[in-house]
Amino acid sequence: MLISRRGFFGAMAGAGAALGQEGQRPVFRIKVDMVVLSFTVTDSRNKYINGLKPSDLRVFEDGIVQKISTFAEGTKTPVQVLEDGRTRPLLERPAENAAKPGLDVRPDAFVGTNVFVLFDTSNFMYRGFVYAEDAIADFIRGLDRADSVAVYTFSRNLSRAALLTRDRSEAIAGLRRSVAGDDTALYNALLLALRDAAKVPGRKVVIVFSNGPDNASMVAPDDVRAVAEDEGIPIYVISTNEVNKDPISSGVFRRIAARTGGKAYWAKTWQKQVEAFESIREDLGNMYTVTYYPQPNPNEGFRKISVEIASDVAKKYRVRCRPGYRPRGGF
Amino acid sequence: MKAFVVAFLGSIALVSALQASPTLERARQLERSGDAVGARAMLAKAAQDAPEDVTALAEYAEFLDHFDDPQCRQAYGKLLTLLGKSGDRATRQAVARRLVMLDLLAGDRAAASRDGEAYRAAGGRLELPLAAGNPAGDTKAYIQIPGPLRSFARMAAVSTDNAMDDMMAALARNVVTNGYQASHSNEALEQTEYLKLVHRYLSQARELEKLAGAEKVIKVDSCDSPNAGDLLRILGYRMRGGCGSEVVLETVNASRAFLTTDSGFPLPELEQALRTNRPFSYDYHPTRVPVLFSADYWLSSREKEGGEFIDVFLSDPALCRLYLGMSKLDRTTAEELRKGVPVQRIRAFAHVLDFFGGMFEIRNGKAVVPGGSRAAGAWADLVGAPPDNGVAFFEKLIARDDGWMASYFDALSRIQGPALNYLTEPARLKRFYAAVRGKVTSPGPARPVFRSNADMMLLTTRLEIGPDGKPHIPGSLDIWKNLFVDHPHGKYDGKLTKSAAGWKDADDVLEALFGLCRKAVENEPLKIFMALTDLDRDRVKPLEPDTVDRLARAYRYFGSQFPIFNEAPNLSDKSILLFLDTAESINKIKEPLLRADTAGTMQALVGLWQIFIRQGSLPLARADATFSAILAPFVQVRNDRELFDGGRNGVKLLLEATGGKAARPQERMLDLLAGTSDAADVETYTQVVQEMTRVLEAQRIVSLDTLLEVADNLDAVARGEKPNLALLNGLSARVNEIQLPRASLTTVEKNALAFGYWTERHVENQRRINLRAVVEKAADKEKVKEARGLLAPFLRDTLVAYNYAHYAPPGAQILYTNPLFVRSHDFIGAQGAVHTWRTTELFGTGWPSNGGGRLVGSLAGLPYALAEAEQNFLVPRQTQALIWGDLVPQMMLSATVPRWWRVTPVQMHWVALHIRYAHSLLAGAALDPELRREVLDALSTQAVPARTLRVGSLLAEGQVKAAVEAVTPSELFAVARLMAARQKGRPGPLLAEIERLASESPDQVNYRAISAAFGTPKPTLANSYRPELLSLRTFPTLMGYSSRIMAESWESNTLYWATLADEMHVPPSQLNVRIPEWTERLVERIFASHLEDWPAVLRSLRLVGEDVRAKARSPLGVEQKAALE
Repeated sequence: MLISRRGFFGAMAGAGAALGQEGQRPVFRIKVDMVVLSFTVTDSRNKYINGLKPSDLRVFEDGIVQKISTFAEGTKTPVQVLEDGRTRPLLERPAENAAKPGLDVRPDAFVGTNVFVLFDTSNFMYRGFVYAEDAIADFIRGLDRADSVAVYTFSRNLSRAALLTRDRSEAIAGLRRSVAGDDTALYNALLLALRDAAKVPGRKVVIVFSNGPDNASMVAPDDVRAVAEDEGIPIYVISTNEVNKDPISSGVFRRIAARTGGKAYWAKTWQKQVEAFESIREDLGNMYTVTYYPQPNPNEGFRKISVEIASDVAKKYRVRCRPGYRPRGGF
Repeated sequence: MKAFVVAFLGSIALVSALQASPTLERARQLERSGDAVGARAMLAKAAQDAPEDVTALAEYAEFLDHFDDPQCRQAYGKLLTLLGKSGDRATRQAVARRLVMLDLLAGDRAAASRDGEAYRAAGGRLELPLAAGNPAGDTKAYIQIPGPLRSFARMAAVSTDNAMDDMMAALARNVVTNGYQASHSNEALEQTEYLKLVHRYLSQARELEKLAGAEKVIKVDSCDSPNAGDLLRILGYRMRGGCGSEVVLETVNASRAFLTTDSGFPLPELEQALRTNRPFSYDYHPTRVPVLFSADYWLSSREKEGGEFIDVFLSDPALCRLYLGMSKLDRTTAEELRKGVPVQRIRAFAHVLDFFGGMFEIRNGKAVVPGGSRAAGAWADLVGAPPDNGVAFFEKLIARDDGWMASYFDALSRIQGPALNYLTEPARLKRFYAAVRGKVTSPGPARPVFRSNADMMLLTTRLEIGPDGKPHIPGSLDIWKNLFVDHPHGKYDGKLTKSAAGWKDADDVLEALFGLCRKAVENEPLKIFMALTDLDRDRVKPLEPDTVDRLARAYRYFGSQFPIFNEAPNLSDKSILLFLDTAESINKIKEPLLRADTAGTMQALVGLWQIFIRQGSLPLARADATFSAILAPFVQVRNDRELFDGGRNGVKLLLEATGGKAARPQERMLDLLAGTSDAADVETYTQVVQEMTRVLEAQRIVSLDTLLEVADNLDAVARGEKPNLALLNGLSARVNEIQLPRASLTTVEKNALAFGYWTERHVENQRRINLRAVVEKAADKEKVKEARGLLAPFLRDTLVAYNYAHYAPPGAQILYTNPLFVRSHDFIGAQGAVHTWRTTELFGTGWPSNGGGRLVGSLAGLPYALAEAEQNFLVPRQTQALIWGDLVPQMMLSATVPRWWRVTPVQMHWVALHIRYAHSLLAGAALDPELRREVLDALSTQAVPARTLRVGSLLAEGQVKAAVEAVTPSELFAVARLMAARQKGRPGPLLAEIERLASESPDQVNYRAISAAFGTPKPTLANSYRPELLSLRTFPTLMGYSSRIMAESWESNTLYWATLADEMHVPPSQLNVRIPEWTERLVERIFASHLEDWPAVLRSLRLVGEDVRAKARSPLGVEQKAALE
């Protein structure tokens, strides 16, 4: 059956258009105005380090130190970092902020995380389908109130089962409406989820729930990873497969998670899946998000990002963030 | 105003019968210039300024009528009131009748009754047809399915958008195609997981039904009520946490839980109710589904005892096949067969009935046969029963020769005109069938999953009959004789090889082709015949016999390229032969990378030539000379420098031939690819160009300007001038942006897999090029000159990228995500298989370890392959739906290959008027039985008998809106054309307007021009990408082509979009962006149940139309539009 799923078994946040000249024709190039960078800081025992302040951080792009515009920790209210290093709540002066390019019109854009759950409902997931639904539903229920969640499902095609919402029951209803069956185009779906996520201001992550094999995608994982990297969207992957069972998929999952600042989990059992979701939730709750406008940099290619903790004199802390991005607006 | 009487057809033509007022003349001028909004405003103002002026109001009302404006009925209503005062009864009659028709079209029966009264009051005689839907008159038989329809439909993979009457047929089809598979252990069939789940669902649904009790409502009063536990047990869930806000439902029985969630049980609502301790209630009445005849007809007495109808039905694929077959017949014919043929007998031939019964027709007890009375005797001889006895005739027909006879009958029933006359000449009818039948009839054409008479259908449908009544044989008879006798690739058929020597006329060739239609393997002679017939079809001068001979013999390797020759009807034989020479010489280039670059550059230039010809940028007068001049340098390419020079020469020739204002090559190329550089609609034009620029940018393509400037600079350096370092550095910077494909396979693995090896070499070589270093290190001037050869791979990619950018389908993602997609085009293919001249194919899907999917082969099928690659990035709106893999690429290419820059407002209005005229005819047919007969007769040339009859029934019941919805836009257009010719000169506001446009703008609204403007490309059916309308019946799915031919026979989209645009007063130029956008939405909304579910496409088409109308007419939309204006 080709037309219905049930026939199986048989960011760059702000982007402005700049008018350039090439010959006689106006050429529109999208310039990156603001970089959103999410990261976690852990100690040598993998414990999250909380309570850092903007002054504790130094963000570099290709070694050039950047001036942080906004700062947020976990689900706390974001603050604007002033010229002199002081901070003030971001939400109190929406009108002022709105005038600044790159700051979205939504005043609470940087409060909480926009979580895009991408649920594999293809034939490969048939056996564990209902348990997976339960685990995802639990995860959605447990999200912080400030977080928004969207549920997308995919097999050969993507389905936007629940659009980004703070209403948990709406998201779960969307999840429960999903239909199982057909081929798996994981990377196609991931690309579309990233494109959607990229349009949303603020912090966002994509959580992929799949068992790995892909038999229908047209795009390569690394091309999709590059999009996530450039848009600053961490990808978390929960594989319901064993790590050694499908080494290619496992390797790809590991790479796209690491390169985007996310994590990969191998959770075959329902219990492990719940644990993986718990870990992701914890990650989101302990994540720092800063925004900055890149300092002048002639590099039009890949710009390497690094974050240093000024107070970490012994360099024992580990910062997990995306390694960099390409300063061009793909879409 | 003069009084006149025009009650025929229930229409009026107030304006056409009168001298048009000066206001109307001015309004028409505005309309012609594309300002329909201005025209409307002018007429509205005139009517408003003179509220008592009948002429002004009539002109305004008719204008609105011409555009299907929602205000039209109101305007006619006012006119009717005004006429009431004037006492002009005849005109009042005409206006009232028109109003009744518009009311019926709007589905407003109350208004129709009211206006009918006005008509009668004016002295007219009108009986409004009786509306159906009276339960007392419902004679249908029903069966019951436990639980809600939605849940069952989800499990059974049936669209809930289907009409209830079609539900069982859709289910039957799914059971037949997906329900059973060969058993691993024995010869019996075993149920697939799909069908097992449907059975399990029914079992669960029955448990739930029992729980629902007599009221058939599942009720849970509170979280701790006993039936909460029972319900959850059936559903396979349990509560986690105590009653209250902590309650969460979790799986306890995975099998049951899967059925619960997959069937769409409202689990979130139940969970919420339990959590808040509120009652939960869910209507669980069984679903009543209409069944053909009665349940008793389908079941044996033993089966009746065996369980409910639905269980027996699902468990018996043969029964499902029979149901499917019978459901395709029109009701009269089905009823006759039911009465006349024992069910067990007809059941044995259910597969034949399913595939070939759709055109069976019994009228007054007689079978309707192709060729009519002239062929009746021959059919009687062939079948063994006279058509006069319809039941006996069809009973014998389906049983004859394992379905071959029925397939022959079906193929001939679908055609009309000269081809039908020719093929149904009695002697020929028998002779060709004897060829089809052969000696061994098994396996029959209805045995495989798809109909295996595809070749026969193509042959009968596309056969070209000349003015002399004889079939067109390309070249000469001798060529075909020789092809069979002495074919370079071996014999097609031993018997035919022997008989070919004695062939004397065209019938002999056709007999052989009919005979080969039986072949299970690829029918190359037929494909050659059809390709060459299509080549000759529109040519100014038929191909010379020698050319035909060469093409026929070269078909196996170069057949995919033949549609190129169809692009220009004046392409000379010499140029066609030059193309073959060039292709053959490129094949001889030993160095694979040079061969790939040469083929790629040459094909890309030819691709651009095709695009420019199609869009009219390159005048036909220069087509041939430009084509051969482009090819000439590629006949002998020995190195990269010659290749670059050939490519540069091609670019120069194309730019020269297309004329236009002087501009930079890249800019000019984009202008030409967009379709125009002189667009009045700058906004649309800019949007089209920007989309292409984005593709080129995403693919890191080196601009044509840069390449040509660097090449010129190298020549200058060779003459002793200094190198332009800025230019060379610019090129280097661009080259640095090219990255190697991100692959995780080793080189050895890649070599083993073969595909992609040469494309990676191509990319790798480009990355290594450092032109500045080459120039600086060059020992002499010759070496510097040679250096421009290094640009050849870049030029190839730039030219190929132009083709890709032009055909980028709506919703494309790969082109923007994989920066190496264009560069990875593999012109060589796997080792041992030369793909260079094959059609474009898609490789690497679902292969995450490579650098993503890529296209392989020539550029001949690029539009389709690109659409195929990008289609799965569209997102179906309906959770259950998937993108229709075989249909969608054709729809997408129909939205990208044609461009509508040269379409005039008059042409668009012409199409829209025809569609509206057809609506009007259907409305009139509801009121006038004689007209109904005529309209149905016209419709029967397009629609299958079952649907024609259904439309007739709907019209008889006055359900005009439903009748209109059952007819496709292309059918409406065809019916309108036919009827407009038959009704010429008769009054009516739409027909009068059509005739006015025909006399005022014959060059714009002749059929050829309209066909070119609103047709679709048909690479499989017509061997051409040139858009045209063929007005064929919609094809079924066919073996070897799946839905591709069906998709090509679907011509409704563009006609519908044109009508929509006309109604919304969208200028034709905007079709260039609107049609791709609307098509994307159309595809995303399709919710089909099976591969022939074109009604699902029709529904989606109309939904998009409704959306567009609603948006444009919403207060906000109107405000925005006003502000823009």
